[in-house]
Amino acid sequence: MDLQLGQRAKVADLVPNGQRFTLEVAIEAPRMVLDFACFGLDATGQLADERYMVFFNQPRSPCGGVALTTNQASGHGGGNAASFAIALDQLPASIERLTLTAALDGAGAMSRIGRGQVRVLDGGQERACFAFSGADFSAERALMLLEFYRKNGVWRAGALGQGFNGGLAALVEHFGGSVAAETPAAKPPQASEPAPIPRAPSSSAPPATPAVNLSKITLEKTGSTVSLEKQDNANFGEILINLKWRPVAAGAQKKGFFGSLMGGGKTDLDVGCLFEMNNSLKSAVQALGDTFGNYHQPPYIKLDADDRTGSSSEGENLRINGQYWSHLRRVLIYAFIYEGAPNWAEADAVIHIRTPGQPEIEVRLDSHRNDRPMCAIALLENHNGAVKITKRVEYFRGHKDMDEAYHWGLDWVRGRKD
Amino acid sequence: MAISLNKGGNVNLSKEAPNLENVLVGLGWDARATDGQDFDLDASIFMTKEDGKVSSDSYFIFYNQLKSPEGSVEHTGDNLTGAGEGDDESVHVTLSKVPAEIHRIVIVVTIHDAEARRQNFGQVSNAFVRLVNRDNNQEVVRFDLSEDYSTETAMTFGEIYRHGGDWKFKAVGQGYAGGLRALALQHGVNVG
Repeated sequence: MDLQLGQRAKVADLVPNGQRFTLEVAIEAPRMVLDFACFGLDATGQLADERYMVFFNQPRSPCGGVALTTNQASGHGGGNAASFAIALDQLPASIERLTLTAALDGAGAMSRIGRGQVRVLDGGQERACFAFSGADFSAERALMLLEFYRKNGVWRAGALGQGFNGGLAALVEHFGGSVAAETPAAKPPQASEPAPIPRAPSSSAPPATPAVNLSKITLEKTGSTVSLEKQDNANFGEILINLKWRPVAAGAQKKGFFGSLMGGGKTDLDVGCLFEMNNSLKSAVQALGDTFGNYHQPPYIKLDADDRTGSSSEGENLRINGQYWSHLRRVLIYAFIYEGAPNWAEADAVIHIRTPGQPEIEVRLDSHRNDRPMCAIALLENHNGAVKITKRVEYFRGHKDMDEAYHWGLDWVRGRKD
Repeated sequence: MAISLNKGGNVNLSKEAPNLENVLVGLGWDARATDGQDFDLDASIFMTKEDGKVSSDSYFIFYNQLKSPEGSVEHTGDNLTGAGEGDDESVHVTLSKVPAEIHRIVIVVTIHDAEARRQNFGQVSNAFVRLVNRDNNQEVVRFDLSEDYSTETAMTFGEIYRHGGDWKFKAVGQGYAGGLRALALQHGVNVG
């Protein structure tokens, strides 16, 4: 069956079993990258449970009723495609609607796509096809393509073909999954509560409201590793970890979706690390608590300076003395927002890890959790003398949570910078 | 408690709401939540004789002609308050003033410029028609159309019609391609 824009039909009229099928979307989009997602919404059309946004960072709903099976970000000839395995009978009763969406990542508009189609497949056989093209759209950057919804106990399908100029962020906002709506603009910055330093019991972390993570890890997926081979002289020289972020002027007008999180003010982003030495000595190197470390003495890690505003062109540098790498067991590099509401998108932070004679490693903090001020960026481990670097980019409510997640075993107390 | 009709269902207004005289026909739909050209929906009324045609062009009540000659049907336009709240457009009908030769008051909604804007009713959500007794603000009957349309650009939502000595309401939910012009021609209006 060909579905026209706006057409509705019973799922049972499309697929014999009425419950299980494959949803395949493919769009010709030369020089554009499209991200596909399937949202599981409640009766009011809201994303009540963010685990029901099935996409590249979350490929399966908790019930298994929606699963991203293939995701071809940008294929041959500029094709963008994805397929989802749908099992309507596995969805909880609270999920009343599934909406398949496509969003442009980066510049472009949906008017510039070529032909596109969403197909409903049953055992590889096409049962329904909703075809569209760029002519159907204008400045939209995110589209709701096809939806499935319960009506009087019966699942129905509708070819929506409508969208938002504001892209995925606007789409998520439409589904009520907006982080902005849940965080008052004038929320006092986290820094009014002193941030923690190691070595004493900590009080509880601030309550976190889960935010839908719109960004994706483009360069490398979390967990991907790079091993820096040991040089002949068993000396890495200096391992330099550099953090740069975008300075935010005090009282500056914030723009955009994430910008509304901040009522002005500045962001102070700090780089730091947890370290553990072979002799089991462990602590942190960070500006907070004035634990800047030492380059020539244990822990052989030194934080150069504390850039409080992001205005320094150098950013913040954490240096590990490679001569003494053999003394270190593991180092967890992190960044945290000391001052200013957590707003990673605004900060646009980039970490570079440079080792002499080795390719530079860049990690962009692009998979934001605006409710969480702490981001574990990369784990450096001593593997038989080599440095094994694993990208993490995991967000935490604070030092303590991160510590626990990595089983570092430090005690944490609130601290403050002068 | 208002009666909720499904497509094709009907209700005897004279029995359901005895002495019903001043009727508000409320029509609603959800405004477009997405970006793009607005959906401009217009409510119109055809007051037809037994043969299904208007007795004259004056009995086609729409945005350019808001009132029937004797005043029994009056299109109130937008921005209503009170009992009409929630309705996007509404029409007042005074049943006793409806001319005897008028058998049906056909309530239609069309999407303005639908073809050019590539719009249809399948993209409109939560459309409804309801009849309210204006004398006590009680909703008498309601018809939610949400699943009874698809790619059409014009819809007959319902009709109020004579049956014996009574007035009845029918939930029609019939869609048409061709917009208001096609509907007007079908109901015997001389469209210029």
